[in-house]
Amino acid sequence: MTEFVTNKINPHVLPNLHIWGWDVAIYLFLGGIAGGLLIISSAMILLQKGGIFNPSERVEEYNKQIQIASLLAPVVLGAGMFFLFLDLEFKTHVWRFYTHFNLTSPMSWGSWALLIFFPFSVFQAIVVCRFSSKPSFLFLARWEKLLEPYLNKIAAVNVHVGMGIGVYTGILLSTYYARPLWSNTVLGFVFLLSGISSAAALLLLIAPSREKQFYTKIDMYIIAAEGFATTLFILGGVTGTESMKNAMFYLIAGPYAAWFWILFVLSGLIIPLILETLEAIGKIRFSPLVPLLVLVGSISLRFIIVYAGQDVPTFA
Amino acid sequence: MSRKRNYAMVIDTKVCVGCSACVYACKAENNVPEGFCRDWIEEKTEGHFPELTMTIRSNRCQHCEVAPCVTYCPTGSSHYGRDGTVQIDRDWCTGCKACLAACPYDARYIHPKGYADKCSFCQHRLKQGLEPACVTTCPTSALNLVDLNSNDGVFGQLIEGREVLKDKVHAGTRPKLFWLH
Repeated sequence: MTEFVTNKINPHVLPNLHIWGWDVAIYLFLGGIAGGLLIISSAMILLQKGGIFNPSERVEEYNKQIQIASLLAPVVLGAGMFFLFLDLEFKTHVWRFYTHFNLTSPMSWGSWALLIFFPFSVFQAIVVCRFSSKPSFLFLARWEKLLEPYLNKIAAVNVHVGMGIGVYTGILLSTYYARPLWSNTVLGFVFLLSGISSAAALLLLIAPSREKQFYTKIDMYIIAAEGFATTLFILGGVTGTESMKNAMFYLIAGPYAAWFWILFVLSGLIIPLILETLEAIGKIRFSPLVPLLVLVGSISLRFIIVYAGQDVPTFA
Repeated sequence: MSRKRNYAMVIDTKVCVGCSACVYACKAENNVPEGFCRDWIEEKTEGHFPELTMTIRSNRCQHCEVAPCVTYCPTGSSHYGRDGTVQIDRDWCTGCKACLAACPYDARYIHPKGYADKCSFCQHRLKQGLEPACVTTCPTSALNLVDLNSNDGVFGQLIEGREVLKDKVHAGTRPKLFWLH
């Protein structure tokens, strides 16, 4: 027999870690979407204008979807940061994130990256939304005129800022080697791809019918990549150390298995991939159910990983 | 700049009786709120009757030389003290809990006032030239504060001829609690 008895009593540490809950899961979801929206909108601006090294004529009226995505990116990230703020135990010290930079702390990098995300995504939104055409936003006309010549460069920066935020939501968890399920480098890519796919799904949902096929295709390719990244994530776990292997089996064959396989893998990846492929080749008509499944799968992934990652025993 | 001191703790599991005096001394000395603890007792029983072995040990923050809590703290609140300990500056703590997630020893908790808290080796007492409350209280002298940078020979005497175990060395944290078996 082996029996272990302790009088350690700290709540949220024992019997298993429970420091991050629904608010962090929602932040990771919203952060991923915000990153995805910025990546897609900036990439579309660059493609429309022929890339950063090839500035073309002034675009009179940007595509509505580019406008919505550019505007939503900072708004969604702001909402996400609100949930992150809710999680802080010492809320009046929130400004301390910006009185220090710790090179080795992913959370420090993330906090400063958020500060880059806001101005650059807002700059892009100011130009592409053409606020100057609406009288109530006339005060932005000066900004629009000032920023317009640099739009290509701003968009080029934004593609990377969006990628950075998307990957960061995964790195935030994956660098904690004390938590064997999270301690998986591929998690950053799973979250990045899931964020881009959620953003594409959101744009697909609100796109006019003649543009839907475009977003269906984007989502289809990204979901396929996400499926491979998820496979690598699982393989990385089961071929890892004993702690990592046990943690991965806890996810794929333990109490969270039904949620993981049905809600995320089946209804969040496989079914949307099949339906989107059929939509893309014109076999079936667009259904709003598909992007909704993608979004539900994406938020479930964050919840499952955040909760299951704290349930598994600490690195041993 | 080299450190003047490098504090560590040597814990003799053969004389520890698990009385929890260290736990309560710490709670009283550091005003640890009810329902929380900075140090604790672990009892592990193994084997088959009648060949049973029980290991009793007092446990706390390892004051790692490569501390993940310091590595991952975004604000610099968790930091290395000049005496080789790992300390928390409450004025800088946001309660983000990165350190709790990072610690392979689960040595930390969130104080009801919002900041991360853990064993400090009673830094306020060390500054006065006193030993930590747990060390002072321990009725069997199982707990010993040592300075690894000192050449007084105390550390060597304590571990001489004993089996010395450290917890989760493969985590790469270079922990500084030494358990004598």
